Amino acid sequence: MSDHVRLAFLLALLSIFFGCAEAEPDASDSLTLFCGSASKPAMELITARFQRETGVEVNTIFGGSGTLLSQIELSGQGEIYLPGSPDYILIAEKKGLLVEGSERIVAYLVPAIVTPAGNPAGIHALPDLARPGARAGMGNPESVCLGLYSVEILEANGLLEEVMENVVTFGGSCSKTANLAAMSKLDAILGWRVFHYWNPDRMELVHIDPEKIPRISYIPISIPIHTRDLELSRSFIDFVLSPKGLSVYRDLGYLTDLEAARALAPRATVGGEYELPEEYFASLDQLSRRR
Amino acid sequence: MNRAFNILVGGVSALLISLFIVLLVGMALELWQQTSLRAPHFSEILFAARLSLYTATLASVIALAVSIPVAYAFSRYSFPGKVLFDTLLDLPIVLSPIAIGALLLIFFNTGLGKQIEAWFGPFVFEVRGIILAQFVVIVGLSLRLLKETFQTIDVEYENLARSLGYNRMQVFVKVVLPMARRGLLAAFLLIWGRAIGEFGATVTLAGATTMKTETIPVAIFLNFESVDISSAIVFITILIAMSFGILFFVRKTEAYVQ
Repeated sequence: MSDHVRLAFLLALLSIFFGCAEAEPDASDSLTLFCGSASKPAMELITARFQRETGVEVNTIFGGSGTLLSQIELSGQGEIYLPGSPDYILIAEKKGLLVEGSERIVAYLVPAIVTPAGNPAGIHALPDLARPGARAGMGNPESVCLGLYSVEILEANGLLEEVMENVVTFGGSCSKTANLAAMSKLDAILGWRVFHYWNPDRMELVHIDPEKIPRISYIPISIPIHTRDLELSRSFIDFVLSPKGLSVYRDLGYLTDLEAARALAPRATVGGEYELPEEYFASLDQLSRRR
Repeated sequence: MNRAFNILVGGVSALLISLFIVLLVGMALELWQQTSLRAPHFSEILFAARLSLYTATLASVIALAVSIPVAYAFSRYSFPGKVLFDTLLDLPIVLSPIAIGALLLIFFNTGLGKQIEAWFGPFVFEVRGIILAQFVVIVGLSLRLLKETFQTIDVEYENLARSLGYNRMQVFVKVVLPMARRGLLAAFLLIWGRAIGEFGATVTLAGATTMKTETIPVAIFLNFESVDISSAIVFITILIAMSFGILFFVRKTEAYVQ
């Protein structure tokens, strides 16, 4: 190989890496959406429709809600933030990362028991999770909001201590908790009703008695302060919340209507904060000593 | 005694090989048990495979090209602070990839980082970011392997070539590099393998965007996060097949070079 050929090869390599730098598109030509991965199936359809109808390119970055928030903070980018639950909105608001008052509700999340397909352990109600030898799972109450809701439901029904004895593992995120059931690792998990619709072949839904659900959650959508085009961010949110956008969520098993969610949990409050009770930490302590 | 030793060596090897075979069989059984197979679109599989091959190969070639002179310098010359710099360059080997991704993401939010993006185009949440993330993750390993390669080459060959009239560049290109070819190939093999499976730094700097920054490890993550296990297994199978195929091919080439 002659020196010229070597030089040309090197230049070609460098040009691939650096040279084809396209100019950053204008804000109104594109938007960056940070989307909790649980909403991936719905948002892929919605963004495709939005792109078709408006010509605005949507760059969707998927991930865990907390990771996405860190990416928004560290990169200083993002037109839309769509986490899996409202607690991340609280964190983002405390950090001053969101446009004030931009939060809206996309869909409601109702707690439910989810079992592997066929429900081999015959779990039909909350007390079944307290049966000796049952193997249960839930989101980690100290890091996943689903876990908080699970502890609250058990506490409200006087089952916390008994069920905690049967909790074999905590899921690190909503999807990881759902995977515990989908991969048949446990008899049942305390999850969201919608988990079943994510993979109906592998998961079965067991409704919790509506009177026994103290709180329901929701999927929020909001605008990061780094948005390059506030109007575009708002129009995207309007599109998601339009009948066209919400029908995509509905088709995938989500409850987009508060009344529909209320029918499954008439006494429940929507969102808000819940502090883990002493009883929970005492149960953990007892379990670790026994192990 | 000899028999016992042979049984020990053979037995442990057989156990280790069985472990990986059992893992693969377990995955095949899991796929078999799917009541209805949900598979990703062919275009998505093709995109992820091509992107993984493209980024891992380019990152490995650049890492190797950068490592060759640096490793040579560290293996032949003494200079003030050498141990300190050597340790600094070893850092990517021990740093968790997610930490490397976060460092890069933080850097591109600084004045210098933004200026670099203005000159060369965006890295954050772009394909260029994948290549950079993979490069930073593998370059430490590449340096470590090449330093050892150069250290095993006797300096007397270089002195002899110099005494016969070659200049330093000629000695390096015509004596050192040919003698190091096996080491170069082995280093490329290892860093390429490391790059194609890289996830933590990639997903932090380049993000997980379907059909844009979706390498195969990112596709596996996205499908697991959507609780689409059969699709995740399809991508895992492709990653294994690609990696196995290329490692096997390079081993054959290595034997040929020898």
